[in-house]
Amino acid sequence: MKAVFDLLPKGIVHAIQSLPIASQFTIEEIRIRIERPLEVIAGGRSYICPHVVQMGEGIELLNKLSQYSLYTIEEELKKGYITIQGGHRVGLAGKVIVEDGKVKAIRHITSFNIRMARQQIGMAVPLLPYLYDGRWLNTMIIGAPQTGKTTLLRDIARIVSSGVTDRRIAPQKVGIVDERSEIAGCVKGIPQFTFGYRVDVLDACPKAEGMMMMIRSMSPDVLIVDEIGSEADCTAILEAVHAGVGLFMTAHGRHMADVVKRPALRPIMEQAIFERFVELTNVGRPGTIQAIRDSHGRDIYRKMGVM
Amino acid sequence: MKWIGAICIILATTWSGFEASRLLRERTKQLRQLKMALQSLEAEIMYGHTPLMDASLRLSQQLSRPLSWLFESFAHKLQKGTMNARQAWEESLHEVWKMTALKEGEFEIMKQFGETLGQYDHEIQQNYIRLTMVHLEREEGDAMEKQQRYERMMKSLGVLTGILIVLLLI
Repeated sequence: MKAVFDLLPKGIVHAIQSLPIASQFTIEEIRIRIERPLEVIAGGRSYICPHVVQMGEGIELLNKLSQYSLYTIEEELKKGYITIQGGHRVGLAGKVIVEDGKVKAIRHITSFNIRMARQQIGMAVPLLPYLYDGRWLNTMIIGAPQTGKTTLLRDIARIVSSGVTDRRIAPQKVGIVDERSEIAGCVKGIPQFTFGYRVDVLDACPKAEGMMMMIRSMSPDVLIVDEIGSEADCTAILEAVHAGVGLFMTAHGRHMADVVKRPALRPIMEQAIFERFVELTNVGRPGTIQAIRDSHGRDIYRKMGVM
Repeated sequence: MKWIGAICIILATTWSGFEASRLLRERTKQLRQLKMALQSLEAEIMYGHTPLMDASLRLSQQLSRPLSWLFESFAHKLQKGTMNARQAWEESLHEVWKMTALKEGEFEIMKQFGETLGQYDHEIQQNYIRLTMVHLEREEGDAMEKQQRYERMMKSLGVLTGILIVLLLI
């Protein structure tokens, strides 16, 4: 929280602190829109502050995000978000400058969305009996945005790298290919979350290439990748599986059926590479498990849960 | 008694003559250093993608005084985070300028340079640095010419003025 408050202009910090929120730690998003009131989303509810954000405050925030050097965040401006200390992410919107049909940068930034990253240590522990069977099973986590896919993936990475003594799961080497700097939330290459000792992160690296780089050079036991979707990703996944590396990845969708239908992912599905599909939903609260399916699509969540 | 006074006068004027010529010499030297500093800054920005604060701290270690103070004070002001890069740069310039041999022309160039600091992407930032270098080069040419023309003259002028005053007073 302090990392975020250090960045924000004083007026905005005051406005947030005077909100009737139980605890600052329930804040999920801080949305700053220039010349509009400040919005804070906490505990699933939206609060509108009376404080209207001024142009100057927006510029101050951007200056601090870039350490007064806009040229250092050129790449980030292209992608539309910046990862800050603590793994939090700041999404940006404004006037986009296009060159040769590609986004070159965002100028005149008018909306900032600060998404608070939260590590839920222990979130994946109840899933262990489904995901580990003498080795880590290739698993795909499926969920719509904001259902806690990445948070779950992060905790799995932590568990794999540190091992579980009660279940006699030995620690293993984990390679994270973090294209959007979301899983590890790296700042200058250093992960901002707790992961145990055996984690190597390729930060901001394109997934397909990154997975091959990892396999070739870092000899991971388990590879962790976020949001697969393209055909290039698919090829890399097939390579990785044949190299004997365990895979954990996420995909957008509501059910396993949605993922099966996606044309780019068909080769993986046909070869039945994934042995577990975890379906997440945010009904109730983010990170709720809807189903865990095996490679045939059978729901095994409750069945094994009874055992 | 008379002779002691005369020697004092001659010493004083000689010293001011030497000081004036030193200033002329220093100005060219400092201008050259400033150019070098900008070149390093360009490299830091273009190849290192270093934020201004780190870059200027590094520059302040490479340069000699008084120019190192300029970058040091700039970095400290940014670190405090109470003002933006333009303000921090301008204030540092005001603080340090009195201690340099540099003139008003260079001050204006550097001030304008400060307006562009950290506001743009690599390419534009580089263009501004280059532009500033061109301006500084012009000033350097001017400074060198003045140095050649007046450096020795200032020294002899100092001694001779002293002798003239002494002669008039005797």
